Amino acid sequence: MDVLIANPTSLKGNVLNIQHFCTHDGPGIRTTVFLKACSLRCKWCSNPESIHRRPELAYNRAKCIGKKECGLCLKPPCPEGAFYVIDGTDDRVYVNWDLATDCGAETAAVCPTQALHMFGDEMTVDQVLAEVEQDGSFYRESGGGITLSGGECTVQADFCAALLAEAHRRGINTAIETAGNVPWANYEKVLPHVDLMLHDHKLTDPERHKKWCGADNSRIRDNFKRAYETFPNTKFIARTPLIPGVNDDETHIRAVLAFIRPHPNVIDYELLPYHRYGEAKYEFLGRVFEMEDFKSPTSESLAHLQAIIDEAFGRNRAPIKV
Amino acid sequence: MSTPVQRIAINIGGGYVPGINSVVTGAVLAAVVLGWEVIGIRDGFEGLLFPERYPQGGLLKLTPQLMESLAGATGCVLGTASNTDPFHVRTINPDNCVEEVDRSVELLASVQQEGIDAVISIVDAPGLSILLKLHRKGLKTVCVPKSAENQVAATHLSFGFNSALSFAVEMLEHTRQAAQSARKIAIVEVPGEHAGWLALQSGTAACADVVLIPEIPYDLHKVAATLRAKLKSDRTYGLVVVAEGAVPITGSQPQSNTPATDSLKSSLSPGATGAAGSHVIDHSGYAAETVALELQRLINHETYPLVLGQFAKGGPATAVDRQLGLGYGAAAVRAIHENRTGVMVAFQPPVLKFVPLAEAINKVRTVPSDSVFMQIARSLGIALGD
Repeated sequence: MDVLIANPTSLKGNVLNIQHFCTHDGPGIRTTVFLKACSLRCKWCSNPESIHRRPELAYNRAKCIGKKECGLCLKPPCPEGAFYVIDGTDDRVYVNWDLATDCGAETAAVCPTQALHMFGDEMTVDQVLAEVEQDGSFYRESGGGITLSGGECTVQADFCAALLAEAHRRGINTAIETAGNVPWANYEKVLPHVDLMLHDHKLTDPERHKKWCGADNSRIRDNFKRAYETFPNTKFIARTPLIPGVNDDETHIRAVLAFIRPHPNVIDYELLPYHRYGEAKYEFLGRVFEMEDFKSPTSESLAHLQAIIDEAFGRNRAPIKV
Repeated sequence: MSTPVQRIAINIGGGYVPGINSVVTGAVLAAVVLGWEVIGIRDGFEGLLFPERYPQGGLLKLTPQLMESLAGATGCVLGTASNTDPFHVRTINPDNCVEEVDRSVELLASVQQEGIDAVISIVDAPGLSILLKLHRKGLKTVCVPKSAENQVAATHLSFGFNSALSFAVEMLEHTRQAAQSARKIAIVEVPGEHAGWLALQSGTAACADVVLIPEIPYDLHKVAATLRAKLKSDRTYGLVVVAEGAVPITGSQPQSNTPATDSLKSSLSPGATGAAGSHVIDHSGYAAETVALELQRLINHETYPLVLGQFAKGGPATAVDRQLGLGYGAAAVRAIHENRTGVMVAFQPPVLKFVPLAEAINKVRTVPSDSVFMQIARSLGIALGD
């Protein structure tokens, strides 16, 4: 939780997942720590289980063994009506997500097959780093380190700062992935402990940003500009998740370039082609995935936009594969 | 009842179906007879949760005169709300961060502050669970079921279905003539994700060649054989009606690409998940496209898909839905008068009854295998894909 305490390594945060051997979240081989809580609601989000701060219930019906064999979730302490079977189908359980939204770990605990399970766990800085340091030799070999992602990792600013500061103290390179929609005070706590900030420029127009991401981008842009100027020794890589029909236009890419190019510590601008890898997780959470009709950008479109970026950075390189 | 009812409210959750104004009219007229005042809450509960969005107020006084002026009109006098769940209201906080806030306590306080003694909510299946949750927190509510697919459990007939059925039959007749002159097989997809009432009844009324519904997994080879036999005689065209939730039997999966997602739009509604925990529908038009493409591979005849989709859920109400709507509205008032809240009005011929909300949720009203409509279809030679 975000409170100042005497021993920062015992500070607790809500952690979604620790992923090892990541190669797309900063230089080298990295361990990415996904933190819970996000301050935006991007319709294309590939980590929907990271959005809410608290740990939350999920359900994988394929693992349910049915009412006849089990049926424990159909009885107290689980709330009446939250779980049910439909007559005439197999006897595996369905979830009424309107009535199950208040269910938590105590509900997941009744399920012997873990069809009901929780996304997220409370961990201390020490616990996270103990797992991260298992990959220490890979960092040294590859120039990698730890990357905090989310959600929006800087929402849990105190935990994030304590984790990164302790990683630094232990000689681990640090990076964060951020979309910037937090109070500047959060960045002030976190950024002094960051070697590389991967940050998203999702849309240029504030109203369109609000439509697709839930909030406008005025504070995001202010934060990014202020971060570039306040932390000249930190490296920044701008990124755009490229969503066809939403932001895959030259105007947006050029606007981002105009925003970042005056700042020499912004060392690159990457395009992240839209994918639907997170779609199954929407099922587990009983949520609607609104982007099901959206496709990945074409290689032609990607190459065209990449060429604009390369030209701005004065370089030539092979086109990115979709 | 501890205190006599003086003021009730009406609101509408979910999308439009024909006949909503009739339900509101029925409730207003019946309430006025009892000497009650009736107000409408605009756009679900948004009129109470976001009054600042409504320059003329989030509440609307409903009088017989107002309802008379709307007689027969399409549309909905109060607006609808397909996305607002008072337990998870998306909000931007003072830090510009997006979050979902439980505003149910605030909503109940607003209801009390406005002197509203009870609320009649016109909702489809997903809305029933939210109303049950609000009822458990103290809201006196009576629900009226609306469903163009007639899939709300515990009631024989939801209002809106008959209008959708009439429209679907008319469109099928148009399609038949077009298919006849084009000498093709028309594959028409109608709403019905979990329940095949609309496909079965419209297909039967239009004497379609084949009707495919979610309750009977179809064998495309048998469908093709039926059509081949018909085309061998003097027929030059075909008419296939497919509910959007119709699925092939295991082992006769379509060869075409399975939908890119094979997964859910997920379940705000009970029963919205398929066997593997995934949603049974990928998007509107998929069922018709799949059947059209696969049939064309199996028979020497050209097919083409058509999708009625949301068209079937608009337009004017039929006489049946107007009567039913008026009856539902009046019955909801009777339920409040009898101090029976936390219920849904259900048409169980020959009476309108009150069913506890807990008994109406987590079920889908599907077509039973011994349904008279199935028997009629089969006796007319209409193939059901099995």
